[in-house]
Amino acid sequence: MKEKEFYIGYLPKAPKGIRKIIKWVTVLLLILVGATSFLMISSEKDFDNSTFEFGEYNSFEGIIMENPYPRILIERPGETGVHPKYSQYYLAQFGKFGGQKMVERLDGKSVNLQGSLIYRDDQTMIEIKDNSISHDHTSDTDRIPEFNSILPQENLGTHTLKGEIVDSKCFYGVMNPGNLKVHKACAINCIRGGIPPVFVVKDGNGNVGYYLLQDKNGNAVNDRVLDKVAEPVKIKGEVIKQGDLLILKADPASYTEL
Amino acid sequence: MSQSYQAVGWNRQKKIYDLMILIGVFLYIGIFLGIGFSFFPNATAETLIIRAFGTGAFVLLHIILMIGPLSRRFPSLLPLLYNRRHLGVTMFLMALVHGAFSILQFHAFGDLNPIVSVFVSNGEYDSISQFPFQSLGFIALMILFVMAATSHDFWLANLTAPIWKALHMLVYVAYTLICIHVILGAFQTDVSSVYHTLLGFGVALVLISHIIAGFQEKTKDEETDSEIDGDGYKKICSISEIPEKCAHIATLSGERVAVFNFDGKIAALSNVCQHQNGPLGEGKIVDGYVTCPWHGFQYRPEDGASPKPFTEKVPTFKVKVIEDYVWVHPTPNAPGTHQEPVKLEDKNA
Repeated sequence: MKEKEFYIGYLPKAPKGIRKIIKWVTVLLLILVGATSFLMISSEKDFDNSTFEFGEYNSFEGIIMENPYPRILIERPGETGVHPKYSQYYLAQFGKFGGQKMVERLDGKSVNLQGSLIYRDDQTMIEIKDNSISHDHTSDTDRIPEFNSILPQENLGTHTLKGEIVDSKCFYGVMNPGNLKVHKACAINCIRGGIPPVFVVKDGNGNVGYYLLQDKNGNAVNDRVLDKVAEPVKIKGEVIKQGDLLILKADPASYTEL
Repeated sequence: MSQSYQAVGWNRQKKIYDLMILIGVFLYIGIFLGIGFSFFPNATAETLIIRAFGTGAFVLLHIILMIGPLSRRFPSLLPLLYNRRHLGVTMFLMALVHGAFSILQFHAFGDLNPIVSVFVSNGEYDSISQFPFQSLGFIALMILFVMAATSHDFWLANLTAPIWKALHMLVYVAYTLICIHVILGAFQTDVSSVYHTLLGFGVALVLISHIIAGFQEKTKDEETDSEIDGDGYKKICSISEIPEKCAHIATLSGERVAVFNFDGKIAALSNVCQHQNGPLGEGKIVDGYVTCPWHGFQYRPEDGASPKPFTEKVPTFKVKVIEDYVWVHPTPNAPGTHQEPVKLEDKNA
């Protein structure tokens, strides 16, 4: 009777029959591994179009608007017709921090700065390069501008909106995806660090609205919205159009989870 | 076999095994990232890397968990078991890449220590839908780290086999945590149902294979029900039931005993290998030694001791042969006790 094959791992070769079986099992396993990988990646849903120009620096000149969330107002060249004269770019610093510390005491001042662009649809943020902000103290524009005159405001009434609170830096381009449950902890970290919280509203027809969140008095709400970040939420509040920016003013305590 | 400490004891089989592991890893990561970067240009590199290594490690964990039950059922697959710990370490390293990138991406460069952030940024431990799934992943990663760090036989010897084995059974805790990590994390977003199906399939395979192997082992653990003589010896089987150089396994007083037939002699020793509890009775006598089918550990049949310089010992049992039947006394001798094998021409002694 043929002796049953017995495998001993530290011998140079496995018995012939076992070797043959293992060869086929290995090939099969490798095929399965490759097929699983292909299945995994090909089942990914498409990623939204958002950009972070990491490592690329552009120069910007504009007026700092410090409150409630730091922005730079950059004058549009030439005739703008019905569009506002100034574009608004949110400001952030490196990491999970808003640009508050970098633009302290520069409210209303005309500055030059360098930074990397972060953008999605018509929303833009600049991650300021360290030590790149310069302000000419002798400039005639060294006065607090009347923001209302350069950024006309329009009250669009009270609306009830359903959407998700995101941190604008990640969502606009630093991460993709920069929303939903997998990103929740990061979004909380960013908003707590001063990144403007934005309410993203999708209407089901592919249209997306971005609403900067403020309280009823127009103040920042970062610490008061952390428990609602990255969850489906309903907010009833006053919608203001400031320049190109939509603002949703409501008491964070009134936000309701869906 | 055991030694005081030596980095991996390479041999040809291990080198081939590890080469196949490398090919498998490169295949998985290469396909995932290649297609990812080509067809999803909007995806950030960090996201694709996190997903490639996370899913890859999880797929590998399923393969690792299947090897045990499958090789119990199909002994030809034992070569996959031989170097399984290298698969485990590889899987940990892939999980580490996933974890490190995730922590860097989502928790670093903020106002909190990144590890602290993993546990406190999202504090909704009282919610299922919003549960901080990353905490579970981190704990699982720590379990896998401890397992990888203690995977060498040095730790097996110094922690002792029962403690080492208990530690490495934590792989099932890690697996459960990772399943929940995926379900409460990625599955809470708008993912394709393909992922749900794959996870369900994987969990089902692991569960079913373990249940089948468990039932198979349970029946073997049933006490050998047979005659006991006046000296307490239990009748086990006829000599013809034990192939040459192989063993018959019986369960006596709750313990499995391997009865070997070799060179016209019969000897009995514990079925449990001192290395990783492999079934000695499913092994063979090679060059005069009982050889474990899992990793090749060897013991002399006459005293249950490993050949020098190795120090492992298993208990032996008193044996007698009467009219072609083997009888074994259920009380084991201390490990390493000499118990002269019964020569078959001396049966009936």
